Amino acid sequence: MTATISSPGSSTGPSTAASTAKLVGLYVLAVAIALALSAALIAVTGGPWRKVFTALIDGSVRNPGRWGDTLTEAAPLLIVALGAIITARAGLVNIGQEGQLAVGAATAAYVATNGSGPLVLIGALVAGFVGGALWAGIAALLRYWRKVPEVISTLLLVFVASQGTGYLLTRTFLLLDDDPNKPNRVQTSGQLDPDTRIGFIRIFGNEFPWSVVLAVVLTVAVALLMNRSIWGFRLTVLGRNARTAQRIGVPVVIAGASALALSGAFAGFAGAVMFAAGSANYRYTPGFANNIGWEGLLVALVARNRPLACIPVALVFGALRTGSGFLAATGVERSIVDVVRSLLVLALLVPPAVIAIQRRRVTPPPAPVSTDEPVVAVAR
Amino acid sequence: MIAVVAAATDVFRDVLSAEAMYESAMRFAIVLAFAAVGEWVAEKAGTLNISIEAMMIGGAYTAAVTWGAFDMVPVALVAGVTAGIVVALAQAHLSHQLTIDQFVVGLTLNLFVLGLALFLDSRWKAVTSVVKPTRIPLLADIPLVGNALFGQPWPMYLIVPLVPAAWWLVFRTRWGLEVRSVGDNPQSADVSGIHVNRRRREAIMVAGACSGLGGGVLVLGQISISGYEPGHVGLKGIIAIAAVIFGGWTLRGTVVGCIVFGYFFALQQTLPVLGYRINAQLAASLPYVVALLVTAVFATRTRQPRALAQPFVRGLA
Amino acid sequence: MAGAGAAALAPAVRLTDVTKRYGPVVACSGVDLELLPGEVHGILGENGAGKSTLMKILIGLVQPDDGAIALGGREVVIHDPQTAAQLGIGMVHQHLSLVEALTVWENVLLGDTSKFDRSTARRQVMETADHYGLAIDPDRCVGELSAGLRQRVELIKCLRRDPKILILDEPTSVLTPAESEQLFTTLRDVVATEQRAVALVSHKLAEILHATDNVTIMRQGRVVERCRTSEATASSLARAMVGREVLLRASAAALGATDLVDDLSDAGVSATTDVIAAPIVDTRPVVLRIDGARVVRDGVAVLDDLHLEVRAGEIVGVAGVEGNGQRELGDLLSSLVTLDGGCVTVNGVTARTGRAGSMAELGVGVIPEDRHDSGCVLDLSVAENLLLDRMESITRFGIVDRRAMRRRAIELMREFDIQASGPDAMFASLSGGNQQRVVLARELGQRPEVLVAAQPTRGLDVGAIEYMSNRLRAAAASGIAVLLVSTELEEILELSDRIVVLSRGRVIGELDRREATSERLGLLLGGVETDPNGAHV
Repeated sequence: MTATISSPGSSTGPSTAASTAKLVGLYVLAVAIALALSAALIAVTGGPWRKVFTALIDGSVRNPGRWGDTLTEAAPLLIVALGAIITARAGLVNIGQEGQLAVGAATAAYVATNGSGPLVLIGALVAGFVGGALWAGIAALLRYWRKVPEVISTLLLVFVASQGTGYLLTRTFLLLDDDPNKPNRVQTSGQLDPDTRIGFIRIFGNEFPWSVVLAVVLTVAVALLMNRSIWGFRLTVLGRNARTAQRIGVPVVIAGASALALSGAFAGFAGAVMFAAGSANYRYTPGFANNIGWEGLLVALVARNRPLACIPVALVFGALRTGSGFLAATGVERSIVDVVRSLLVLALLVPPAVIAIQRRRVTPPPAPVSTDEPVVAVAR
Repeated sequence: MIAVVAAATDVFRDVLSAEAMYESAMRFAIVLAFAAVGEWVAEKAGTLNISIEAMMIGGAYTAAVTWGAFDMVPVALVAGVTAGIVVALAQAHLSHQLTIDQFVVGLTLNLFVLGLALFLDSRWKAVTSVVKPTRIPLLADIPLVGNALFGQPWPMYLIVPLVPAAWWLVFRTRWGLEVRSVGDNPQSADVSGIHVNRRRREAIMVAGACSGLGGGVLVLGQISISGYEPGHVGLKGIIAIAAVIFGGWTLRGTVVGCIVFGYFFALQQTLPVLGYRINAQLAASLPYVVALLVTAVFATRTRQPRALAQPFVRGLA
Repeated sequence: MAGAGAAALAPAVRLTDVTKRYGPVVACSGVDLELLPGEVHGILGENGAGKSTLMKILIGLVQPDDGAIALGGREVVIHDPQTAAQLGIGMVHQHLSLVEALTVWENVLLGDTSKFDRSTARRQVMETADHYGLAIDPDRCVGELSAGLRQRVELIKCLRRDPKILILDEPTSVLTPAESEQLFTTLRDVVATEQRAVALVSHKLAEILHATDNVTIMRQGRVVERCRTSEATASSLARAMVGREVLLRASAAALGATDLVDDLSDAGVSATTDVIAAPIVDTRPVVLRIDGARVVRDGVAVLDDLHLEVRAGEIVGVAGVEGNGQRELGDLLSSLVTLDGGCVTVNGVTARTGRAGSMAELGVGVIPEDRHDSGCVLDLSVAENLLLDRMESITRFGIVDRRAMRRRAIELMREFDIQASGPDAMFASLSGGNQQRVVLARELGQRPEVLVAAQPTRGLDVGAIEYMSNRLRAAAASGIAVLLVSTELEEILELSDRIVVLSRGRVIGELDRREATSERLGLLLGGVETDPNGAHV
């Protein structure tokens, strides 16, 4: 079974100014529809939709200090998205970032809570990277050894990860906090030492960790790597045509498995960063991942697997997260944000698909090898 | 070492002789089977729908709400089926008409429907009581498996006609023939005059109807759980897909797979009742670990529909 | 021959002024065509002439932009294959329209609108098969059948619907000469006794001359000539097809005109470049050696104890009907297949078969049988495809030097005359001929030790075919060991110094070019083994 998660139209192609304008127009229309539908949904169930939207904006950017929170939320989203792009390039489907992030954060927590100081911090970050890589590595092993489609294995591993890391929190020799003053029913890890935390930048009354800058740097690095380096080129060939890749000397199994593992490593690293920058008050808790894995994946999908485009998208998704914190006052459940988010994603996926279909109707696709006649491609 | 083996066999014996075990296993298995049979049809057509999850959730919530409002089980089940079809419509048209990647659509639909169900549940709480089991006299008195097979709430029995109906649909009708051709070689089917993507969409709708029904049955038929809780479905959709792989894409194998997985879901519930202390997380993750192992063993089967998960656009062979 | 009273009968099909455009490309332009019942009508044209598109219009897979179709005098619109079937038009497809997972009777029913009933279907299959003398078991899975048998199923599927008009699109590409004969005999039956109209689409002159009553010749989307086959000669047809006098043997070979090739050879016309006569005792070094190669899939040996040697400077042609191991041979030399037995050595070095890039490392260049499958990456640019495996040469510190890439690409495009809007054009936007040139340029640009060319001219027009043939000969002349794998007999005969015949995964006969005649090769292809001296075994 060969399958790829690829946003339609992510391949290069001729684009005129007119078609770009059309695309932008479609995007705007789609977003407007998504937002309108969300508002309608709130209104129909008797909620104050105007207040909801204002709360979202207040909570994400308008109120003092919220910008910093949005950036803080956006950083791990961005890192996860970068990993997702790597697997997409390789032609693989990794939807298990939520689990890989949890495992990475757990390993980082284990290292970090057993020591203190900046060296331990670095060790923890590395541990997160490795933990995520190993978790995704299981899926890679299953795929290349036993032909298990990675879309299924990564998904199953998410659930196993959540249970597994939950288990870690029940044993003190693993992650459970062994502080004698702690009330018994609380299942968290020990708190991170102040020396082992990621420092914060303070600008204009906003506060965000260094990891934000790190995430942006990583994005640029990944963009360069994907588009300019020979490694990125080989990965692209692998993703587009594995047989051709094999013929020219790209070891399909090794390249594919390492892409998968690397993607998990990014997710795990994001988890480590989250932990060391203050998520859950520097403690590892059940459900630590908190959907960052899922949303990071969605960021990559919406950005059509382009690293630099992930930055604005991650900001928007981060804004949705921080904005939702202000919803309690409106009486509307936070789950509406999930609805808004998925509607937005769906809305943002449709325009490029529509354009791609229209383009196919007009130009003949590559001449099939058997005859030299052009054939029209229509999904009927 | 010997002590461990002895202990294990003891556990084994206890588990196998507990009637509650079989009852619980069958209940899980039947719910899984609704979704798995539906996805089996869809995969025969060459589609892989991780949005089975969303179809079940949609069916579960809609059935719960409808039952709360009208207090009529058949109406609730029909509502569940409808919800499943609606989700399937979205998957079908986004992936096999607008050509958006089917995994992307599936994932997004899962998140969307889950969020929607959570949200609506918070506004319009779904209150359900439970359908009482219907015991078939005599047969239900068979030791061990009697209650499991013949003492279930009546919606569960809907699986009995559904399985042969699905088989008949795929192997004894023209529609089924075309679906099978579309899953194995869509180019040939296209040249023969078959509407490839239309058949695929229709197969996905069948999956939606079955999974929606499964979601409804899940909510209405769970004896020990009262009311609708989000997260009931809990990735059972992906287990259904694993069951299809386990069964080598045969219907019989898929049903067997559902029973196997049902067994492992039941373990989580019944072991504590039997007096065994088992780590909560281990028990909860068992079915999923088993699913991983199962797919690892069975995914290399060559009876997979050759065009599975490969989108079809005419002209691009 | 039936058809003598053709003028008095209403045409079964009349196409008037049919036109089809794909954006700027015109596939068919103002085509007029008449098919009469009781005759086999040949539609001749080189690849790209528009004949396949025309047939696709007739069968409902493609809608014309202009023009009318009339059946038996009545104008019709053909929306889709089902409408075409209802109107009595049936097609036997070029690259088969069967589903391997289904049985014969299920495949025969596919696309029908009749009731789905197993026993009726089986009965009809048997009846049709008996009626036309095409033996087949209705319960077998199509996946188990050979190419020849599969075509038989296609034929039965088509004939069962009792079509008034039967279209055959390049039917003999998968058949042995003996099977082709059989097919044409069946055709004559169908036509003569049942007064059906048959359209035979082909790019092979010999076939048209042999099996048809009337010929319509197309070139670049237009009809350029019509005549009765009895009045046509190979050269007149060739001239009409190509638009100029065909003087080159390569072109004649490309047109599948064996007689013409022989005529030209007799007239002393040489090949376009000098062929170095191979010495009686060949002292050139063996570059590629395949020893006892064995590949087993699903219990069947697709390559079975295959022995093959290619020396520097020679062209070895591997002839054979499709489906006898050619694809696996190509895959093997593309590092895509691991041997289950035997070995491959290049210049004495044993290759690690199946390991990515191992063949390429040893200097084996491949023009694969399906370039879209393993020869290129459609979504990348021309430049990227040209330098696909040579990126290291323009990489510094891991970063690709794009300017150097463009420069090198422009050089190659100039050298190999590749027509494209620029090195950054999408590979997919190139014509078939130019795409093949890119593949050739890439492989030859490496200065390989061995060049494997699998079906190198399939789907190309005559000009491109000539170019490719010249290049292959030039490669051999420069010392490269060339392995030509082709199902086109004429191509093999034209280019090879030495010919081997592949059947069921092994070499069953070997001939030197000078001894090879179409007849002898035909026998070998039919499966009759000969010993090295050419005597029947």
